[in-house]
Amino acid sequence: MRKPVSILLLCLLLLLLPVLGSGGYLLNIIVMIFIFVILAVSLDLVMGWAGQISFAHAAFFGIGAYTTAIMERDLGTGFWVNLPSGMVVAGLFGLALGLPALRLRGHFLAIVSIAFQTIVYLALSQWTSFTGGQYGLSVEPVPGFQRVGQFYYLALALAALTVVLAWALTHSRVGAAWQAIRDDEVLARAIGLHTTSSKLLAFVIAAALAGGAGVLVAHHIRGVTPDDFTILVSASIVAMVIVGGQGTLWGPLLGAVVLTALPELLGPLASFKLVIFGALMIFMIIAMPEGVLGAWVHRRRR
Amino acid sequence: MDSFNLFLQFLANGVVNGSGYVLVAVGLTLIFGILGVVNFAHGEFYMLGGYAAVTAAYFLGWGLLPTFLIVAVALGLFGILSERIVFRPLAGKDATNAIIASFGLSVLLQNGALLVFGAQPQTLRLDGMAQTAFQIGPVFLTGQRVLIVLATLVLVSILMLVLRYTWTGRALRAMAQHPMVAQISGVHVRRVSVVTFAVGAALAGIAGGLMSAVFMVQPTSGSMLVLKAFTVVILGGMGSVGGAVTAGLLLGIIEAMVSGYLGNELRDMIGFFLVIVMLLVRPQGLFGRITERS
Repeated sequence: MRKPVSILLLCLLLLLLPVLGSGGYLLNIIVMIFIFVILAVSLDLVMGWAGQISFAHAAFFGIGAYTTAIMERDLGTGFWVNLPSGMVVAGLFGLALGLPALRLRGHFLAIVSIAFQTIVYLALSQWTSFTGGQYGLSVEPVPGFQRVGQFYYLALALAALTVVLAWALTHSRVGAAWQAIRDDEVLARAIGLHTTSSKLLAFVIAAALAGGAGVLVAHHIRGVTPDDFTILVSASIVAMVIVGGQGTLWGPLLGAVVLTALPELLGPLASFKLVIFGALMIFMIIAMPEGVLGAWVHRRRR
Repeated sequence: MDSFNLFLQFLANGVVNGSGYVLVAVGLTLIFGILGVVNFAHGEFYMLGGYAAVTAAYFLGWGLLPTFLIVAVALGLFGILSERIVFRPLAGKDATNAIIASFGLSVLLQNGALLVFGAQPQTLRLDGMAQTAFQIGPVFLTGQRVLIVLATLVLVSILMLVLRYTWTGRALRAMAQHPMVAQISGVHVRRVSVVTFAVGAALAGIAGGLMSAVFMVQPTSGSMLVLKAFTVVILGGMGSVGGAVTAGLLLGIIEAMVSGYLGNELRDMIGFFLVIVMLLVRPQGLFGRITERS
């Protein structure tokens, strides 16, 4: 019974953090961690549970962010309308990509998702009249959540919701079907599972959640630029899932915390930040291929 | 008549750009076909080749051939080093891990280059390099551009001869066709792995050096190029050198036509659309084998 207690303590700490008078800088980083928790946990549904690789998560993240920015500009709608809209739009793009792409496997799927990611990035950066090009668009803060201490709770709530949703999904029949497909797709089909629609479901849910994270980030940093949604961001989210340990729920969460906080901890070495980040990515993959959490669980079992 | 001359000029520009794609994609397709590694850091090999050429020309001031010999050797060694440090520990593991590691390497090299060489784009200047412009019919091409096409022609021909007629080449092809049977027949897997990375990195480096004379080299030079080279690899069929040559030239020409007639914004995007269509219609690529290995 140690686990529920420590989770409860962690929740309490997270709830009290802004009240305890933490600085705006720290809170800003933690909000970014919440956003990447949504991204990593949702991508894990596709990678860790349904066993399909995708390097397009930052594209859905960007589609969500640009949906809210463009809707605010053209329709004047606010966060609470744009959040579901961003999720639906990203989910539809997920459907449009997944429908043809999920017939492919392994490297081929990876490369189609990379192609999609690149097309979205190029569209965002070059369709200047619609997306604002390289300069991007500005976004208004959410009414009632203007201060970072307030926005913190909004991001915390949405991240927590995502984790709960992912937990519920993975412990349902749907999750069992995903695992069956991940472990042996042919066998899964043989026992009568609808593998394509199952995979598609994982893909669309993950894309929609990434879209939601995009809406959140747009209102957090009060603007969108294409460079926040590059393939490097996609690869970082994949790295979070793998470094944490895919298919474990807590692993991707941990991966998101570590890889988002890490560059900030390297503050004094700012110019070496990305060099160290890259080196660490290589080191962690080689040293702990099953993820930090996986390695830890492994050691405890022995 | 003028519009036809314009078409020819677009065509020539396309062949020049396409040649650069060919040199990068050939190495990428070898590394993929033989080792099954999707190497995202390949664009950084290209970028480092550009800097190696600029640096060698600046400090040594030798002619064309010695400079590019240095580039090839330096990048070949660098490829061996990356294979040893990054990719060998991951051999036989889940393919996703190698992709992530190569992303890490790409980030590391790009930002390392930023620290060492700075963000300012640099150009390769060599005395031995013809500064004259060629005129073939209505088409104008500078010496550097003609050199890119010639060098690609020579290097790819040599590569194909080596693959066809030497023991090393046979070992490489055997690995690509069936790794286990190759191993049983006495092919030294590690040596093949090292040779593949050395050759791939050297070719990408030479491409980077040649291109840095026309377009400038900067730390991010390779990041879009590697993605395009991947489209070439897919279009040509993974692991097929001939396919990479054809598809690389084709992509260069298509891009030149699209940017000439439809607008420059679509230029970079077209290849990625082609890839998605190709993978859905004919996943084995233009020249790929139909059978899929497990």
